[in-house]
Amino acid sequence: MSAESTPRREVVMGEPRRVRPLPRYRAQSEIDEQTALGGAYVRSLMRSQLRAGLTVFAVLALVAGTLPLVFEALHSNAVVWAVLGFSTYPPLTLAAWWYVRRAERNERDFARLVEGLPAP
Amino acid sequence: MTGAGVAVIAVLVLLLFGTGFLLGRTARPVRTSDVGTPVEHATFETLHTASLAAPPLRAGLTEESARRSARRLRSLLGTDALCLTDRDRVLVWDGEGDHHGADVMRDVQGLLASGRDTAFHSDCGDLDCPLRWAVAVPLTVDHRVLGTLVAYAPRESAVLARAAGEVARWVCVQLELAELDRSRTQLIEAEIKALRAQISPHFIFNSLAAIASFVRTDPERARELLLEFADFTRYSFRRHGEFTTLADELHSIDQYLALVRARFGERLSVTLQVAPEVLPVSLPFLCLQPLVENAVKHGLEGAAGPRPYDSVRAGNEPIRITISALDAGAEAEVVIEDDGTGMEPERLRQILRGEGGTSTGIGLVNVDERLRQVYGDDYGLVIETGVGAGMKITLRLPKYRAGVHGS
Amino acid sequence: MSTPGHPAAVAAVALVVLATVLVGGFGLRISRTTSDFYVASRTVRPRLNAAAISGEYLSAASFLGIAGLVLVHGPDMLWYPVGYTAGYLVLLVFVAAPLRRSGAYTLPDFAEGRLESRQVRRLVSVFVVGAGWVYLVPQLQGAGLTLRILTGAPGWLGDVLVASVVVVAVAAGGMRSITFVQVFQYWLKLTALLVPAIFLVLAWQGDGRPRVSFDEQISVFRADHPLYATYGLIVATFLGTMGLPHVVVRFYTSPNGRDARRTTVAVLALVGLFYLLPPVYGALGRLYAPELMHGDAADAAVLLLPARVIGGLGGDLLGALLAGGAFAAFLSTASGLTMAVAGVITQDVLPSRGVRHFRLATVLAIAVPLAGSLVVSRVPVADAVGMAFAVSASSFCPLLVLGIWWRRLTPPGAIAGLLLGGGSALLSVAITVSGAVRPPGWPHALLAWPAVWSVPVGFLAMVLVSLATPGRIPPGTNAAMTRFHLPEALTSGRVR
Repeated sequence: MSAESTPRREVVMGEPRRVRPLPRYRAQSEIDEQTALGGAYVRSLMRSQLRAGLTVFAVLALVAGTLPLVFEALHSNAVVWAVLGFSTYPPLTLAAWWYVRRAERNERDFARLVEGLPAP
Repeated sequence: MTGAGVAVIAVLVLLLFGTGFLLGRTARPVRTSDVGTPVEHATFETLHTASLAAPPLRAGLTEESARRSARRLRSLLGTDALCLTDRDRVLVWDGEGDHHGADVMRDVQGLLASGRDTAFHSDCGDLDCPLRWAVAVPLTVDHRVLGTLVAYAPRESAVLARAAGEVARWVCVQLELAELDRSRTQLIEAEIKALRAQISPHFIFNSLAAIASFVRTDPERARELLLEFADFTRYSFRRHGEFTTLADELHSIDQYLALVRARFGERLSVTLQVAPEVLPVSLPFLCLQPLVENAVKHGLEGAAGPRPYDSVRAGNEPIRITISALDAGAEAEVVIEDDGTGMEPERLRQILRGEGGTSTGIGLVNVDERLRQVYGDDYGLVIETGVGAGMKITLRLPKYRAGVHGS
Repeated sequence: MSTPGHPAAVAAVALVVLATVLVGGFGLRISRTTSDFYVASRTVRPRLNAAAISGEYLSAASFLGIAGLVLVHGPDMLWYPVGYTAGYLVLLVFVAAPLRRSGAYTLPDFAEGRLESRQVRRLVSVFVVGAGWVYLVPQLQGAGLTLRILTGAPGWLGDVLVASVVVVAVAAGGMRSITFVQVFQYWLKLTALLVPAIFLVLAWQGDGRPRVSFDEQISVFRADHPLYATYGLIVATFLGTMGLPHVVVRFYTSPNGRDARRTTVAVLALVGLFYLLPPVYGALGRLYAPELMHGDAADAAVLLLPARVIGGLGGDLLGALLAGGAFAAFLSTASGLTMAVAGVITQDVLPSRGVRHFRLATVLAIAVPLAGSLVVSRVPVADAVGMAFAVSASSFCPLLVLGIWWRRLTPPGAIAGLLLGGGSALLSVAITVSGAVRPPGWPHALLAWPAVWSVPVGFLAMVLVSLATPGRIPPGTNAAMTRFHLPEALTSGRVR
């Protein structure tokens, strides 16, 4: 960065201070986070998000769980080829898109719910 | 040699032995033991009890700390009842006869005013009550009486009076240490506040003056600058949250530089290299801003030596400041470099030791201190500088540290 | 090999290696003045980040391995790309946003932040390093194979070459702005696979569209319990993606949880787009290079096809493009994994910190898998990668899912789950690779595709031991849960 002609620099560091590092889990921020909204609200949010997630996952598990059996029964390479090779990716992306919309709506609803409360 | 002579010598020798034996007996301990004498055991026990009582007291004199240490203190003194008060009320009563608690504050009023030990008889109506006499000693820190320690006994006892005095003195030492801890954190907090305030008077005046100069010539620019100024001050005076993200801190620096540039125009050239991977990194609030301010200050100071903040730099060459934030695996590496006057390394060492005195390096010291406090001693500032060689400050920030969450 | 290497291919490989180092090293050096301050301090947008994640994720297994497996074993092998993609859906619905909001950079960070236990942190570190190494071995072997096909050089040379390039690039700090490198790699890989594919399909049509036959089944390695193997594959890939060290690290780059979710959707789309191509190579390989079914070089099908089908200079150039793409795949995944593993080694294994230790860790992070790749017998690339997924699915998936959604998880529970689930999967992989248990028979099938049983074992152990140690629930659990799930609109003071 500096030109060739500039005087030499020296490395300077502060002396070790044997500082006590902060307590690893700072009570203050934890309390802040808890009192801000209260466990009950957070739990309800978690439930709604988990429901959305489990819905998608259940559909996925059902399809993925039965498809190998279907393929085994049909014994047709063409079907396997068509299904696995080309037609799984759009539904997967659509499912993801649906979930994101659902999750973001849950969060918006939750924010409205919480902000509608009188300040604690 | 005569028989008499022999007799005298024999007597003398006997006497010598006798004296030696007696002296030896009194000088040596009564008996020794590899596993400790009763006295030693008593000492150990006392020390152990004292050590157990110490930790709660390190939190200062509160109801909680008093409650947690009172039983240990009473077993140190071996009394029937012990009471700790602050200046207004009884913090804890340990032992029997707590019906005396109501009267204690009345009895120690004089002591709280004078700070001198007192003893009083408790005129108790209950004939079975063993608490007939009490000694009260002040708990003082820095010549201020914070509270009292009151020990009760069935009868007057000089031993208890002495013991209570010693225990009170020991408690005082613990409280002093607590005070020291607290003032240490207060000092850091005060420094952060000062740092935030330090941005204001000089800088605010200059910025506003610069903005004012644009009001007529370029009202649109003046309006923009005013908005930047409002945003910048809002961030700097933010009250809540100890941590921020690198993205937010850089944003604030941008606003700061916009305001500086309003004053110094093209003479300030800032180059920025930021790896987007490190923008979400959390770091202590206002850790970079003082360093950039420092760099600007150094850059604007002429090569002729330190001059006031807004003095003209020798020549008209622009000041170059480089800020880079790079990804280094589990850490981010932030470098702030200027080509200004630099600093005598020895002097910088002094400043970092806290012997700077002037306001010159308070930003540096404060940032160094806070980084070490949050991330440990390995994460202090690394500064490369020399007279006339500019200054390069390097910070390492871990990408994740439990408890450090920028909001 | 029947096709001798063409100088163009060697040049393409050299070009990719050089470009990778240069983009990483100098992409950032292009100085920006203050007017760009706003641009510079803006975080990575979801689409850019998604391209970077995809670029890092699409490894040798995707670029070469899938086509090779399809060629040898038929379309059932298409479960691999489907699993690699669906894994992101599972990651999205259970993990993406909360993991980002936890602020964790690596999985050990997450474990420590959530469970407040250094012990769990250390154990997770061990698994991250283990899974990373298992994943690195096939990358290096794939590179060796590619180089052998291209130049006829001995197989170990490619392993060593990729390992050294990664060490140089990562340790010298040349990968400092890795996001742009990875974005570049994604588009390079897509182009490298897409353009030759178009020409190949055109050539195939010009040939009168001969039918691809998958009737000839080969019973090497996997055929004795195909249905079980398929399920093992599904479980491992669907659940394993969320725990891969280099994937987790990349989510840190998202500015917040909401963006992390959107990023994941974009990743799904980009990865899905890419996976439309390898099967084409597999099918055409069956047609035009059937002899590969019987050798150990089926993974090379992608590289050999242009010369076979098109021939001439065009074939050579397309082959060169593919070789460059393949090397991009090795380099991006290997360097991402090496960074992630080296980060964990610096933080949790080596005593003191600093840049010098990171360099040492980088060497360590790649030396072990390099040794492994030279010693261990060559398992098909995609299968070997599947094993890394199985380890991840049995250890990190329970930890992440339960850690994010279940308040009663305790450190002893986490340790039990990691040891029983992840440990058994790791052990199975080791036994399979060592060749101690050979096909056919159930023992081999169970060990080669452990996820079917090891994932439930991991979950069960974690749940049961946690329930048995209710006193050990970390005190900060509620706070952590709040941080994981609270939307940004409520946590950050201002809305930008």
